[in-house]
Amino acid sequence: MHLVRDVLDKKLMDREDCPMGRVGGLVMHVGESGPPRVTHILVGGPTLWMRIHPALGRLSSALGQMWGPRRKEPAKIPWSRVETVGREVKLDVEGKDTGALDWEIWVARHIIEHIPGGGSEEEE
Amino acid sequence: MKRLLFATVILLVSCKPPTPAEQMDAILSWVGSAIVLGNGWLRHTTPDTYTRQTLTLSHDQLRQIGAELLKSPPATIDSTELDGALTRSGTHLARMAQLVEARNSPGFNQVLDSLELDQKALKQLSDKIESSQ
Amino acid sequence: MKKILQLSLGIITSVGGFLEIGSVTTAAQAGAQFGYKLLWAILLGTLCLIFLIEMSGRLAAVSKHTIVDAIRERFGFPFFFFVLLGTVLVAFMVLVAELGGIGFALQILMGIRFPWWALPVSFVVWLLMWKGTFSLIENGASLLGLVTVSFVVAALRLNPDWTSAASGLLPTLPDDDKSKYWFLAVSILGASISPYLTFFYSSGAIEDKWDRTYLPINRVIAAFGMTFGGLLSMAVLIVAALALRPKGIQVETFQQAALMMTTALPKWGFYLFALSMLFACFGAALEISLAISYFFSQGFGWNWSEDVEPSSDARFAFVYTLIIGFAAVPLMFGVDPIKITMMSMALTSATLPLAIVPFLFLMNDPIYLGKHRNGWISNTVVGVVILISFVLAVVSIPLEIMGG
Repeated sequence: MHLVRDVLDKKLMDREDCPMGRVGGLVMHVGESGPPRVTHILVGGPTLWMRIHPALGRLSSALGQMWGPRRKEPAKIPWSRVETVGREVKLDVEGKDTGALDWEIWVARHIIEHIPGGGSEEEE
Repeated sequence: MKRLLFATVILLVSCKPPTPAEQMDAILSWVGSAIVLGNGWLRHTTPDTYTRQTLTLSHDQLRQIGAELLKSPPATIDSTELDGALTRSGTHLARMAQLVEARNSPGFNQVLDSLELDQKALKQLSDKIESSQ
Repeated sequence: MKKILQLSLGIITSVGGFLEIGSVTTAAQAGAQFGYKLLWAILLGTLCLIFLIEMSGRLAAVSKHTIVDAIRERFGFPFFFFVLLGTVLVAFMVLVAELGGIGFALQILMGIRFPWWALPVSFVVWLLMWKGTFSLIENGASLLGLVTVSFVVAALRLNPDWTSAASGLLPTLPDDDKSKYWFLAVSILGASISPYLTFFYSSGAIEDKWDRTYLPINRVIAAFGMTFGGLLSMAVLIVAALALRPKGIQVETFQQAALMMTTALPKWGFYLFALSMLFACFGAALEISLAISYFFSQGFGWNWSEDVEPSSDARFAFVYTLIIGFAAVPLMFGVDPIKITMMSMALTSATLPLAIVPFLFLMNDPIYLGKHRNGWISNTVVGVVILISFVLAVVSIPLEIMGG
């Protein structure tokens, strides 16, 4: 599998076929023996901005501590949860439990639902 | 970076100072617009508010461009003649706007005729400026 | 049967949605100043757009990706972000211009100046996005936009010399004002080939769940829809050429643009112009808002759909709420929409390669399109027109400053 071509930036779908964002980065373990292997998928802002410039990654991280769901680390999904890699990366997880949807839930609860007609996320 | 450059360049485009010929073209454009508008109003094809507001706009634009042009008028024309033509047109435009408000069609028609004469005079001056450039 | 209905709707919505403040302003200025001499720019722009729209639909139907999905996945995040910045910035300017167009239309109808309309208009646009579905927005706005066909009626009423008009389909230089001529050519190209249209179209194809069986329909919609739309733009130019140019009227302001219709169709012309601009700009404002939100959402992998409640695609809804709100601000302070229009059209031309070159790469990628990749004709037409637009933009804008 060609990681950059087939995995990186692909859409992530959870076990209920709900979109969970995109693969922002990959964590690899380089051991003393054996080839490097992918251990985790990273989802989230700081990982993405880091790919443009490390300073932007740090800025994004810092801003993320002050506002929104205030995650200390990017959402990390174990590679073992990957079911298939095709047009999308299908995961055997519940999207909301991974932290990948923290921002979506935060914006829905703190902004959208306060506007009349915005609906309620919990109705689903 | 490229985009910033383009944006700056475009801003500069809108600030480029016009030539006297261009200024006269703009003046004639506004006078021409007022005449078309005036004829339309007399035929009841344009509403009062739009007509009055556009005539006022024409008047203001004429005053503004005219003042700029008179600051450094071209040597090929008589600046007193230009000033006179511009003042008369301006007065007529202002009067027309008032007459729309008063719904005075016959009065409006008369002033419109005068504006058409102004247009001829301005066109002659414009031709002189163009031929010298 | 369903496909035939979709086909008809597709063509109608393309026609109804074609004109907006950019295409009307640039065509009107071109006609008023240069007569028929810039018809070729509309022809070229429309031709390129036909190919681009067909390509957007084909990409969506075959790869089940929107253009933005594919750009992010194929080129990675840093490149995607670079394209996002350039494209969204210009699209935002166009949005401001469209909201301004709605405001202007209301100004000439009601007599209240456009800055006062900025907030109410933005609110209505936002409300339609908030409560409406994709079908309602796309079909409703475009059906109303069919009033712009009145420009064709006006052109026919003015009885143009068709031989003279046809000669305008080939580029001929004017005797003077060359720098303005090329600047207008660039602006017309930018008005015709707006990248946001392709993002919108490919997103719509995904929302409507297109597959390979839709490829023939896609071709017909692109060809007929955009051709009829291009004819509308040409009609505007012809009307301006016949109604305004002989009287020496330049189209510096929206109020002057209205005069072309009052001359051509004395009884109803004024109201047809106002309503045409109102509905056309409304439709365009909705499309651009959606296109910008799609760009963010698809690029970052957020939930996006116009057919669900806002809380189900919270970030998508948040983006369009924010941009529509921000777009009202310059207008509230009286910034002239016509100036923004001309600026954004020229900038669109200058930034076309940024959006379209990656798209061309994708259309030739077997991973996404398999045997439905671009042929040499599509590649050539699009490649050449984009190159022309870009070169003209880079050359004509400084020339306009230096005075030709």
